[in-house]
Amino acid sequence: MPTDTKRVRGPEVSQSPSLFLCKNAVKKSTASNDARVDGRQRGQVDVRSVFVRCGLISQAKGSAYIEAGNTKLICCVYGPRETERKDETDMKSGRLITDMRFAPFSCRERGSWIQGSDEKDLSLMLLESLRPGVCLQKYPRSQIEVNVMVLENDGAVLAHAVTCASMALVDAGIEMYDLVLGCSIRQEGATYLIDPTFLEENGYNLASGSRENLGSLTVAFLPSLNQISGLQSDGEMGEDTLTGGVRTCIEGCFKLYPVIQQALSKAVRRKAPPSES
Amino acid sequence: MATVQVSEAEKVYILHGVRDDLRVDGRGCEDYRHMEIETDMVSNTDGSAKVTLGHTDVLVGVKAEMGKPRPMVPDEVHCCFAWKFEGRGGDELGMELSNTLYKVFNNRYSVDLKSLCISPGEHCWVLYVDVLLLQCDGNLFDAISVAIKAALFNTKIPKVHISEDEEGGKEIELSDDPYDCMRLNVENVPCIVTLCKVGHRHVVDATLQEKACSVASLIISVTHKGTVTCVRKVGGGSLDPESIFEMTETGKRVGKALHAPLMALLQEEESLGKKRQKVGFLG
Repeated sequence: MPTDTKRVRGPEVSQSPSLFLCKNAVKKSTASNDARVDGRQRGQVDVRSVFVRCGLISQAKGSAYIEAGNTKLICCVYGPRETERKDETDMKSGRLITDMRFAPFSCRERGSWIQGSDEKDLSLMLLESLRPGVCLQKYPRSQIEVNVMVLENDGAVLAHAVTCASMALVDAGIEMYDLVLGCSIRQEGATYLIDPTFLEENGYNLASGSRENLGSLTVAFLPSLNQISGLQSDGEMGEDTLTGGVRTCIEGCFKLYPVIQQALSKAVRRKAPPSES
Repeated sequence: MATVQVSEAEKVYILHGVRDDLRVDGRGCEDYRHMEIETDMVSNTDGSAKVTLGHTDVLVGVKAEMGKPRPMVPDEVHCCFAWKFEGRGGDELGMELSNTLYKVFNNRYSVDLKSLCISPGEHCWVLYVDVLLLQCDGNLFDAISVAIKAALFNTKIPKVHISEDEEGGKEIELSDDPYDCMRLNVENVPCIVTLCKVGHRHVVDATLQEKACSVASLIISVTHKGTVTCVRKVGGGSLDPESIFEMTETGKRVGKALHAPLMALLQEEESLGKKRQKVGFLG
């Protein structure tokens, strides 16, 4: 583990009190199988309602904030900036650099300020999801930096990070082919939970004890072009379940699309109000 | 991944060939290159395997050590993946490899983690799976997953016996017989299939030239029963949902077909025992 010398550290070893919670309190299963804890339905495309706002950080070229349920993320975009090219490959198009970090207080257990390997992996997934959407060949020899900070993790973090980052890119005026929207799904047996919360993602509310078809899936989608730019799944699923899950995520993205478009047009109007003629 | 520069004419050639199900080296779109597997190459490990897939060379060593289990899951062991890749630019690749491998093997059904518990809450086996890339010629994930499966099959974990002494302290005893060991059940260990989208079709086991012509690839890990444990899209391009569904189907079919001959081969190699001719690194 890399040690952090810039901060005053607490004790070497500390544990969260939730470990000592009595297990019965955690494993309470929901009374009816259809309702989820926050009132949404299983097996239906019921994404959490989102609050999005662009242009809140004045220092950054573009920024966006998204809130979906309790998941809160903020994204800043800097660029296009000149790169000092260490390697001469690919001078004809720009580079996109993504960085995704979790605030230490964002998850149930305290994280560290130093980027762990799963944060690096999420940054890589974010990069792969955003790259097809950005017109990088219009920015030769430049780099565009996208920084996402998760303020509170209540599930479906990667999906909302993709949406937030593409909104921030639009707010920064970077040319794009299409918005990239993200949607996440948790498969449990025969039903699915779209846009899962943190507890649902980590399987605390298992409706049935089935071993089959238990997994999560995150899809990044470009709605107008009908292309998938990012796909990641884990857990064990059959192939049909996977196909069905991808289709459901695409539907979820379509549901989110008008909200994001409206927020972006509001932000553009605020930045450059239409002339009074 | 390490890339080669491919000219436009070569790209067109490869694309047209793949369209007609004929690749540059004569394979079909779903054929693997010649694969050689050898286990038990490194005597200091508890299990090892070397896989050569075309010109890609991967060596995997598994070491089992005793450690403390994580506090949240007191009766399960955890696997750690490490990688080593010499030369510049290896960091991102290595990180991508180890993170994907961790996702693939992280679900509780691939390796029977409960069988590796010694005493709940106190001692368990920690399996360190170290992957060394000797040569890269495309399709690293497939070669690594086959090597991991072979190395885990070959792993011999010594049997331990916990005895309590008078004050209630626990003592761990290793049996004296070096052949008294526990083998892992690798039936459910998944194999990874990488499918590259080249033109309108997809190919399995792409070489570096074919990779340079593709915009995106899909990595699928499939168990012997056909369940998909991890799917991941890599590459800077986007894919049509229909092509993703086709690629998933192909990946599942190819992956499922990979397991049976692999297990048969590993068991045959095991049954040869001392009579086996060791090829080693120079063969």
